[in-house]
Formats: sequence, structure tokens, C-alpha cells
Amino acid sequence: MRVGVSIGTLVLVAAGSLAAQQPAPPPPGPPPLAVGVEAPDFTLPASTMAGLSAKPVHLKDLRGKTVVLAFFYKARTKG
Amino acid sequence: MDAYRDQYATVFGDTSKVQLLAISVDPDTMQAAWAKEKGYTPWTFLSDSGAVVGTAYGATRAIPNGLLDNRTLYVVDKKGKIAHVMAPFREADPTAYTELQAAIKKASGGP
Repeated sequence: MRVGVSIGTLVLVAAGSLAAQQPAPPPPGPPPLAVGVEAPDFTLPASTMAGLSAKPVHLKDLRGKTVVLAFFYKARTKG
Repeated sequence: MDAYRDQYATVFGDTSKVQLLAISVDPDTMQAAWAKEKGYTPWTFLSDSGAVVGTAYGATRAIPNGLLDNRTLYVVDKKGKIAHVMAPFREADPTAYTELQAAIKKASGGP
């Protein structure tokens, strides 16, 4: 137990000095947005099963419609 | 995505009033090829290769060799406000689609 604590302390000290020398890792992404806030605007390249779209999609251009934004892992994965 | 295709009319309803945008970090060419292969219509895929939009919406997470979006779903109303959030979206759970359908109807102000 005592050995474990000492090693743990050593690791902490080592991690501390490393952290002092290197930039911190990127923070985790922000949490999902809340209901009621304005959806952040964006413009992204678009495609459909007919191929690449000539025009990108600009979220603001879709005002007046209900828009469902479905973020997903990757093409060719389930869901 | 198969579930969206197979239940599109039921869940999303009228394409003139509701627009589904499916967003991932994949290149647009890959999304287009996949959509064609699987017959994914009538919605649109958006390529967020820099994960900028996914990050703004709190959907992106870091993995050892890059970034990925968690299954996160937003219903945005006609005025551009977030009306409903499903994070995570449980794609294998049938009740998730019932919930989504109800949220779309509510946001659209329809019956």
C-alpha cells in the first residue's frame, strides 16, 4: 500500500512537471445546446444521392422551414 | 440512416415544410457515394470535415486519430431556434423516432 502511494505520488509529480512544460490537452467539447437558444448559423458543402450539390447549404436560408440537424458518426456506419 | 430512409414520410412528413440535414466529418464525395449506394433520399448530407459545426453544436468528440460526431439530433424551428434536443439520439430505439416525430410536429405547428 505504501509503495503504491509513493508511486502514485511520483506519477502525480511527474505529470505535474510535464503539464508545466507542455501545452494542456484540448478541453472536451462544449455540451449540447439548450432548447430556446438560436441555432448557430453555418454554411457547409452539401450532397444528396444525386451527387454533390452545386450550392452549399446555409442554415439561415432555411428560415420558415423546420430543420432537423442529425449529427452522425461516419458514412457506412449503422445509424 | 436506413431507419431515416425507411420511416421518412412518417417521421419527417412534408418535405416542403421539414428539411433533414445529416452532418458528419466525412468528405462530401464519400457522403454522396454512400447516399447513392443506399438510396438515401430525400434529405441532404452536409460535410463538416473540420468539425467546426459539430463542435459549435456540442456533438463532436476527439478520438485517437481525429474527430467524430456523436449521434446528436436537433430540431430547429421556423425562426431558427432550437426546439428539441436528443443527445444522444438512440438510433436503435423505436421510441426515439416517435419522440422525434412529435417534436417535429410541435415545432412545425402542424397537427
